[in-house]
Amino acid sequence: MINAVIFVLQETLEAALLISVLLALSYQQKQPIHWLFTGLLCGLLFSALYAANMPTISEWFDYVGQEVTNASLQAAITLFICLYAFSLRRSSSPSPNPLFFITATMSVVCAITVEGSEIFIYMTGFFQQKSHLQTILIGSSIGFAIGLSIGVLLFYLLRNLNNKLLRFSGLCLLALFAGNMLSQATLQLTQADWIPAAQAVWDSSQWLSESSVTGRLLYALIGYEATPSMAQVVSYLLGASGVLLFANIKRLRNPLSS
Amino acid sequence: MQRQPNIRYWRWLTLFCSFYCSTLLAATPVIEISIKDHLFYPAEITIPANTKVKLFIRNLDPTAEEFESYELNREKVISGNSKTVIFIGPLPPGEYPFFGEFFPKTAQGKVRVK
Repeated sequence: MINAVIFVLQETLEAALLISVLLALSYQQKQPIHWLFTGLLCGLLFSALYAANMPTISEWFDYVGQEVTNASLQAAITLFICLYAFSLRRSSSPSPNPLFFITATMSVVCAITVEGSEIFIYMTGFFQQKSHLQTILIGSSIGFAIGLSIGVLLFYLLRNLNNKLLRFSGLCLLALFAGNMLSQATLQLTQADWIPAAQAVWDSSQWLSESSVTGRLLYALIGYEATPSMAQVVSYLLGASGVLLFANIKRLRNPLSS
Repeated sequence: MQRQPNIRYWRWLTLFCSFYCSTLLAATPVIEISIKDHLFYPAEITIPANTKVKLFIRNLDPTAEEFESYELNREKVISGNSKTVIFIGPLPPGEYPFFGEFFPKTAQGKVRVK
């Protein structure tokens, strides 16, 4: 059962982290939260479709279709988060912000498609094998509930901050998330042999193993890798700095505006 | 008359690229692994050091499995009754465990790099 708990928790945490930050910033920006329902609904639909077509998609590009699709979705998440950061206004205003709505929706759709599809495939397997079904269902529910609770906790922590601190913390968390996504996209393309594999830049597995519960949770939260390649480190920094750059692009272009 | 050197240049370039690509393709050893009853066959494989290897994995079970290895930095879902490819290496000598994340109690394996 513990495997089911950790597996579902790990998959849920990434999406829960993203949604809580987007939601907290939505309130700070006084924007409606229609994007959440649209994103959740479309994300669940696409993740079910992705999971159902996984055998066919995996055979694309000489059996590396899954890596290429995942990498494209993860790179798309990074791009949408950068544009989301760009759409944030310095002063909150209830006037409609279409870019905010589109980028928040698309980030959630892509994140749930990637993470949700694995949960769908995992659960489907056990629906065929009735022997472990009850244990897996309980374990998965616990994992999902813990992931959701951490997301809710983070949301309320952010909501209790003042506007300036909420914007700063939210952007920092989004930067880590975007860096994580771009780093994972690079890893997927390395696995597919589209990017040449290279030796690890460092090995921190002796201090914190990726296989430990803490390591797995940190992987889901901030993209912790014990043995990352140079391409992963560079893409992590690119993704993270991209968000911070896009968030401040208006101020950089017109320093006197705020 | 002036186009002749260009054609010759492109011929040599095509020939070089074909040779280079065929060398690259030929140089990647393929190792086949099967998944049956949530077990890897063979459970241990040996590969040469500092060489890229293509793992060709067949999942003979009706249920999906996820090939996972923290040491190899690899993770891939393999649907039931399907086949897939995962590239690993070049790696320094050592032992790199891998497992099936959906059935970790039984699906265990190891890559020995010599």
